[in-house]
Amino acid sequence: MNSHPYRQPLDLAVIGKGAVSPAGVGIAALERTPQPTETPFLDGSGKTWPVLKVDLKDPAFTRWQKEPRLRRASPISLFLIEAAEQALAEAGLSLEERKRTGIVAAFSTGSLVYSRRFFESMIRQGRKAASPALFPETVFNSPLSHVAATLGLGGAAYALVGDETAWIAALKAAWLWLRQGEADQVLVLGAEEFDAVILDTYRAAGWLGRKSSLHPSEGAGAVLVRLARKDDEAVIAAGTDGQVYRNPRQLEAAGKQMLADHPDGTRLLPTASRHWPQKIEEALTSRFHKIGKEAPYLGESFAASASWQTVRALGWREAGTPLLVPVWGSNHQIGLLELK
Amino acid sequence: MLPSSRRNAVVTGLGAVTPLGGDAASSWQALAAGRHAEQPIPSELFSTEGYRAQKAAWAELPPLPELTAKQLGRLSRASRLAIPAAREALASAGLLDTAGRSTQPILPLSLSTTGGGMGFGEQFLRAVLTGKRRGLLGGIARYQPQQQVLDLQTALGISGPSLVVANACASGANALGHAADLVAEGVADCVLAGGFEALTELIFAGFDCLQATTMEKCRPFDLGRSGLLVGEGAAFLVIESEEHARQRGAIALCRIAGYAHTTDFFHLTQPQPEGNALLEVMRKAAARAGVTPGQIGYVNAHGTATPINDGPEANAYRLFFGDDLPLTRISSSKAAIGHTLGAAGAIEAFFAIMALRENRLPPQLNLENPIPEVAAVLAQAHTAEPPARLEHVLSVNLGFGGSNAALLFSRS
Repeated sequence: MNSHPYRQPLDLAVIGKGAVSPAGVGIAALERTPQPTETPFLDGSGKTWPVLKVDLKDPAFTRWQKEPRLRRASPISLFLIEAAEQALAEAGLSLEERKRTGIVAAFSTGSLVYSRRFFESMIRQGRKAASPALFPETVFNSPLSHVAATLGLGGAAYALVGDETAWIAALKAAWLWLRQGEADQVLVLGAEEFDAVILDTYRAAGWLGRKSSLHPSEGAGAVLVRLARKDDEAVIAAGTDGQVYRNPRQLEAAGKQMLADHPDGTRLLPTASRHWPQKIEEALTSRFHKIGKEAPYLGESFAASASWQTVRALGWREAGTPLLVPVWGSNHQIGLLELK
Repeated sequence: MLPSSRRNAVVTGLGAVTPLGGDAASSWQALAAGRHAEQPIPSELFSTEGYRAQKAAWAELPPLPELTAKQLGRLSRASRLAIPAAREALASAGLLDTAGRSTQPILPLSLSTTGGGMGFGEQFLRAVLTGKRRGLLGGIARYQPQQQVLDLQTALGISGPSLVVANACASGANALGHAADLVAEGVADCVLAGGFEALTELIFAGFDCLQATTMEKCRPFDLGRSGLLVGEGAAFLVIESEEHARQRGAIALCRIAGYAHTTDFFHLTQPQPEGNALLEVMRKAAARAGVTPGQIGYVNAHGTATPINDGPEANAYRLFFGDDLPLTRISSSKAAIGHTLGAAGAIEAFFAIMALRENRLPPQLNLENPIPEVAAVLAQAHTAEPPARLEHVLSVNLGFGGSNAALLFSRS
C-alpha cells in the first residue's frame, strides 16, 4: 500500500502535548479564534498588515521570565519553554525521567527579533553599537539550550532548520534517538517568533498581494514522544518528507505522488489554509474525507504551524481510522504525517 | 554499547573547500605543511572599518563552469562553497557522472550551518531599513538554509529527505554523526553529509562585539591566546553502510566507529570550567566505538583560542586520557583555517580522517607557551609523525548553547 520511497514508519506514541499560539496558551486554545493586530512594515512606509501575535502578558510567561537563563531571552524561548513544560506535565515526567529526555526543535526563521535588532543597531548606530548581549541569542539553538537547561532535559538536543517540513525531520530524528537508546522520550518542538521584517520578507516573496488573506503568526507547539507500545492510543505512525519542488507545478506533482497510496475517503486535515499552496491542496485532497474545516485560522508560522496542526490532529483521531496531516513546506518541500 | 544489529558506517568520499584550498587535497596538504590562511577581509565581502579585528580566513570560491554568470549570481556564498565540496565528495566516492551529477538520484542529505545564506539576509535587511525595496526578492528567497539544500539538490541532480542541523559550532559533527546513525540503523544505505559556512558581516560582528576575535595571531592552547579567527568553508563526506560500499566496489576510507553528543547546561556561551560535558561526550563516543582512550592516537581539537574555551577543553583531555595522555597527539586546525562555525565539525572531521589515512599529524600553529595540561602532546611541526601508527582518531566540537559532539574514526 504505502510505497512512497521517502515514507518512514515512525510508530511514535504521543505522551504529552503543548501549544502556545496567538489564540492563547495551551492546546485547548488552538480551537479559539485569535484576533489579528495591524502591524507596520519595517520599511517606514506606514503600511500595515494584520498579524497574529502571542500575548506575552499572559501569566503563563511570567514564571519563565524570572528564570535566570530566560531573563534576556527573546519571545521564541518563552514560547518554546511554555509549550515544552505543558507536554512534560501532561506526561507527568519526574526530574529523573527528564534527564533521559531528548529535545529536538524545528525552526524556520528562529530568533528573528534579536537578529534584526542586532543588525539594525549596527546599521543605524554604527558597528560599535553591536550588542554582545544580543548576539548569542541570535543563534538557532540558543532557545533550545535555554529550554533544556531550565527544564533539566539531559538527553540529545538538535536544532533543525528548514521550512514547515523541518517538523517532520524533527520527528524522524526523535525516532532515531529512541531507537538508539539516546533517550527514553523526546520532546519535539516547532517554534517561530514574529518580527516586522517578516512582513517585508513575505511581501518580497509575493505572499502579501492584494488577494492575500494570509496572517503571519508566531508561537510554539510540542509533542512528547516515545516508541509506541501495543496499547498506545495516540500514535504518529509514519512520516514522509523529501518531496522537493521548485515551482507550483512541481509541488502539485509531488503532492499527487505523496498522497497517491492513500485510498479515497481517508480522513485528512487540510493545513494550507490561506497560504499559497491552498489551491493545490484543495485540488489534490478532494477525494479525501476532510476534517477540521471549521477550525480557527492560526496564521502562518512555519514549523510552529506544522506543530499546531499535528497537535490538533491528535485531538481529532478516531479509533481504528488513519488520519493524514499534509505538511506544505513554504519554499522547499512537502511532507505527510500519518496518525493512527 | 550499541545494539549488535547496528550496521557499520564507513566513509567512502571526501570533499572540501577551505581557506587553505579549493579542494580536499590542497586543503589537507596546506594544513599538514603548517600553512595558514589568515588575511585581511576584502572589501567585496564587507568593510571592517570600526571592528576590533581586521582579518579572517576566507576561501577563494572554486569555479562552477557549468553555470552562467546569472545563475552564479543567484547562489549564496554558502552554496558556492558547498556545491564544489559536495561534488568532490561524490566524485571521490565514485558516485559522480561525467556531467557532474550524482549517479544515485535518491540521496539523503545530512547538513549543517549556522548562517545559511546570511549574506542575502543582510542585504535584504539593510535595504529594508534604508527604505529600498527594488529587487529584494531574489536575495531574500535564497537566504534560508533550505535554499542551500535546494541548490545542492539541483546542482547534484539528487532528491530525497534532508536535514539541516544548526547546533552552533558543533553542528558539523552532528550532521556527520546523524548521517552515520541513519546508515547504522538501516534508515539509509548512503548519505551525503557535510557542513558549510560563509563569512558574513553579522557573524563577524557578533564575535567581534563579544571580544572573542583576536587582533593578533590565533593561538589555540597557548597561554597567551587572545581570541579566535573567523573562517569559512565546507566539507562533505559520503557515508554508507559497509555492505553497500562493498557491493558497489567502493573503497572504505575509514569507519565512523563512535558518535556522541550532549548539552552543557553551564552557560549559553561558555563551557563548564572543568570541561565536564566534553569529557562525557568523548567517553560516550569511545565506549560506542569499543575503543580505549589509549588507542586514540590523534585528536583534532575544537581549540578556538578564546580564553574561555581552551582551558576547560585541555582539562577534559587530561581527564579523558589520564595516564594514556602521552600516547596521543592533539592539534586545533583553527589557527590555520579559522573558526568555520557550522562547518567546523565537518571540516575538522575531514582533517582528522586525512591524518588517519596518511598517518600524519597536522601541526599546532602559533604555539609559544602551551597550556600545561596538554603541552607535551600538542602536535608540533618538527614532530609531525605520530608516536605510533594511527588506528583511531577523534574530532571534537563545542558550540554556543552548550552543544558538544565527538566523532571517532577508525581504520576500516
